[in-house]
Amino acid sequence: MGNRAVDPTRIAVIVGMGLVTYLFRVGPQVLFVGRTFSETFDRYLRYLAYALISSLISTSLFLSGSRFEATAAPHRAVALLAAIVVAAWCRRPLVGMLTGTLLAVLLTWLRGG
Amino acid sequence: MRHSSPFREGAKAAIPVWMAFIPVSFALGVAAKTYGLHLWEILLMSALVYAGPAQFAALEPLASGKSALQVLLMTVLINLRFVVMSAAMAPYFRRVRRITLLLCLQLLSASSFVLPYAHFRQDSRSLSPEETGRNLQYFVGVGLTSFSVWVLGSGLGYWAAFRVPAGFEEGLRILLPAYFASLLTSELRGRTALLIGITAGVAAVPGALLNATWGWLGTAFVIATLGWGIERWIRRGSR
Repeated sequence: MGNRAVDPTRIAVIVGMGLVTYLFRVGPQVLFVGRTFSETFDRYLRYLAYALISSLISTSLFLSGSRFEATAAPHRAVALLAAIVVAAWCRRPLVGMLTGTLLAVLLTWLRGG
Repeated sequence: MRHSSPFREGAKAAIPVWMAFIPVSFALGVAAKTYGLHLWEILLMSALVYAGPAQFAALEPLASGKSALQVLLMTVLINLRFVVMSAAMAPYFRRVRRITLLLCLQLLSASSFVLPYAHFRQDSRSLSPEETGRNLQYFVGVGLTSFSVWVLGSGLGYWAAFRVPAGFEEGLRILLPAYFASLLTSELRGRTALLIGITAGVAAVPGALLNATWGWLGTAFVIATLGWGIERWIRRGSR
């Protein structure tokens, strides 16, 4: 498997996927380039970024595809909370991340997973 | 005192991203081999698309010869999130040369959005050309190193068919969300920002369960807009 010749149709589809994704990446930059935003719109974009980051965090932590990982959710929530508290307390995101990660591994191990 | 360059700072900040990218990109390489894709096809896909969910989702349709339109439509739906991320980043690169910016934007991913965003200073309106240039260098430091790990990882995964031991999966799973949350903790200042962050995080899961592609993006958009709108309304009322 995988040792046969490269399929030109598949290459074309992959290039198409790349082009579509690249357009999404550059589109807003092309539209907004050189513009100075009002204080209000600048704040809106900031809030949008916060909402997006929070959403990315919770979906990548609690979902697997479109399935809610109910068994793992409680200890992941505890580990995430520990990461946040430690990061806020010592003002070092890396320490927060390590705390959360180690706690998640420890809780999984204690659970016998 | 010797100051490190923004590129190097970005690369250092991206180390946890590499750690998270290695197993996922390896898994992508393994899956690509399983579906019968050629090594060059997965390397090309990782370099051109550089978006895990869309790449994983495209493996089966590509392997089974489904229509190109179907694969492209799926890519549009899954990767639409980059529009919002790119828009949120736009003010921070405002004065960068367009051609440089266009070349560097291929490196935009969820990680190369979150890390630089948390690093940039908040008020984007008074940024000098030097500052926007440094912002871009930092972004490239995060993005280029993570991108390289992703492409190499998918190739190595294909080659070695390596699998992560089960015991490590949970730790790797929480690595990036814990890092992003730790970064966001220092960034969220003010009641509105905090409320938006918490509400979006909570609402994203039911949103994604209702619609896997659009749900979390839609809830983030609605909550940010509502929070911003309510804050404006309260400010107007108190004048």
